[in-house]
Amino acid sequence: MRWRIIALETHDACFNMAADHAISEAVSSGSSDPTIRFYKWHPSAVSIGCFQSMNDEVDVQRCREAGVDYVRRRTGGGAVFHDEGGEITYSVIAPESDMPKGIIESYRLICGWIVDSLAAIGIAASFAPINDIVVDGKKISGNAQTRRDGVLVQHGTVLYNTDLKRMFSLLKVDNAKLSDKAIKSVEERVTKVLDYAQISQEELYAALLSGFTKGKDFHMGKLGDEEIARANALSKEIYSSEAWNFSR
Amino acid sequence: MEGIAKQKVPGGKLLIIKVSFGDSIESVRILGDFFVYPESAVQEIETSLKGVDSKASEVSIAELVGSVAVRCNAEMVGVTPEAIAQTLRKAIG
Repeated sequence: MRWRIIALETHDACFNMAADHAISEAVSSGSSDPTIRFYKWHPSAVSIGCFQSMNDEVDVQRCREAGVDYVRRRTGGGAVFHDEGGEITYSVIAPESDMPKGIIESYRLICGWIVDSLAAIGIAASFAPINDIVVDGKKISGNAQTRRDGVLVQHGTVLYNTDLKRMFSLLKVDNAKLSDKAIKSVEERVTKVLDYAQISQEELYAALLSGFTKGKDFHMGKLGDEEIARANALSKEIYSSEAWNFSR
Repeated sequence: MEGIAKQKVPGGKLLIIKVSFGDSIESVRILGDFFVYPESAVQEIETSLKGVDSKASEVSIAELVGSVAVRCNAEMVGVTPEAIAQTLRKAIG
């Protein structure tokens, strides 16, 4: 299997989700190679899992006032704050037939690439099923996967320097408002690269690129013209639509 | 009437059930941060619960949810038919 690697790029939330969708269609039809993509979000955004309620999880009004995007993913999992300066997101998009059949095993494989990347910068992380990566028991990476039309799509985020207080101002916290206690509770469960390694975000990206490509046959590529056109259409028709984002 | 209940599924994810009901279930929303493959199975399960007697037992609801999951060839990760049934029962009260 020859992988296409799309180097770190920055887009808005709707395009980022639409790009992963468009690539999965292209991989399904055989017109694109299996793809590993790295990306960031501008503006910052909140994404929610496909089974979550936008209004239950996100302070939509506050997002609008703060200029923060919000989008529903095609994948399950929880709400994530994509701080534009504070994290790196990846996606792995490949035929199911080339990946482990078991859900947990496929998470373990891909999350292993992140664990290896973090080890290279001196962070001892481990996979914590179902879909997390932890350091000292604290979450440093969340991941989510879908399988459609014979293609596995897994995307996830590696926390570099996420602003937890800002995150709390945008996400609705179960059974709690914006209390110090609630923040402390999450701060005790979440960590970030900068807590363990004084490296730049560029160095983190370099480590991820190395960890994800190690031992693979790959080429550096970019989105094709048809993928970009399809992603723009999906961004407009689905990911920026109220019907999709507020469907639950 | 309306009901809502939630639980952290043991070893799994957060599950929230919202239900409208009278003598029978009128609508159900199954929400949370779990995973179901294919995702469309969740909507199938929600649809299948419409019209079910509001007094239906947890066991019978779990059997129904499980049968729909099997029909959809669904794989549930972080949630189970039993957890859905248990939380739905709690939401109805």
